[in-house]
Amino acid sequence: MSTNVLICDDSNLARKQVFRSLPESLSTDVQLAKNGEEALDILRSQSIDILFLDLTMPVIDGLGVLQALKDENIALAVFVISADVQPEMQNRVMDLGAKAFLRKPVQLDILNENLRTHGFL
Amino acid sequence: MNAFDLTEDQQDCLQELINVAMGQASDQLARYLDTFVYLKVPSIEQVKSEHLIDTLNQDLKETAVVSQGFFGYEGIRGEALLIYQPQDSNRLADLLGYEADELTFDEQIIDLSSILTTTFLNVFASQIDNQMSYSAPRLLSANLGTVSEHLQQQSFNWDLALKVRISYQVTDYSFNCDMVLLIPEQAIINIKTVIDRILEEF
Repeated sequence: MSTNVLICDDSNLARKQVFRSLPESLSTDVQLAKNGEEALDILRSQSIDILFLDLTMPVIDGLGVLQALKDENIALAVFVISADVQPEMQNRVMDLGAKAFLRKPVQLDILNENLRTHGFL
Repeated sequence: MNAFDLTEDQQDCLQELINVAMGQASDQLARYLDTFVYLKVPSIEQVKSEHLIDTLNQDLKETAVVSQGFFGYEGIRGEALLIYQPQDSNRLADLLGYEADELTFDEQIIDLSSILTTTFLNVFASQIDNQMSYSAPRLLSANLGTVSEHLQQQSFNWDLALKVRISYQVTDYSFNCDMVLLIPEQAIINIKTVIDRILEEF
């Protein structure tokens, strides 16, 4: 059975970086979103297992997505991947229910380690 | 067609390199000011040098400009200008809340600028496998003559500059500063080569 993954980032390069970092052993069905609004449209209509979420984005940012997921009781594993590495920001996303905070640019081994920690590998 | 014309992919890649650099610069700013900084997506545009002087001219009276040169390998070099608008440098004074016996405001704004510039450029450089060294930062007195004279003294010629507008929103305050990277054409060509290499990997 495949894992449904959504990668949300306004940068095409960043989306590709995450996509290429997904381990082959994880059988995935991957969708992409360019901002928080696109991501929420998908998250509200489909069952997604893992969301890789950028924070600084136009339209609806990453915090907005996390807040909406919490308000609407949409449960899934969210891994935040952001350049905004301020400790307070990391605390905020964890408080809003993210599984982990990963700094950009995303490192393959760190991504895999986090997927393993949370039982996806 | 000039050296600054970027394809959509090149622009996207440059934007992402800048996002990562900006994120860490903001983290330093947050630590320095002991506050939280809201980040927005930065804008990147090219400006003609004479137009840059015009922009400065509009808000000249109390504009503070801090200038610092940077030098990397492979001919990647330039001058970073941090430009504070009048209302923002006043807010900054409040924010820094310096005491009379501590550093002067001039010293503090130079410190702050240098932290932002070197953090930003170090992170930017590390992503393109480069390493920067820096000249001492200088606060240019706020008049057009001094700024344009300083720019003309640069050892390179530039007609176009890369202007990265980074907006830092600090809790309770809002201050913006423009970071302008003046990068000579040859250095831009080298940066584009590196960007193409990164894009090929993905």
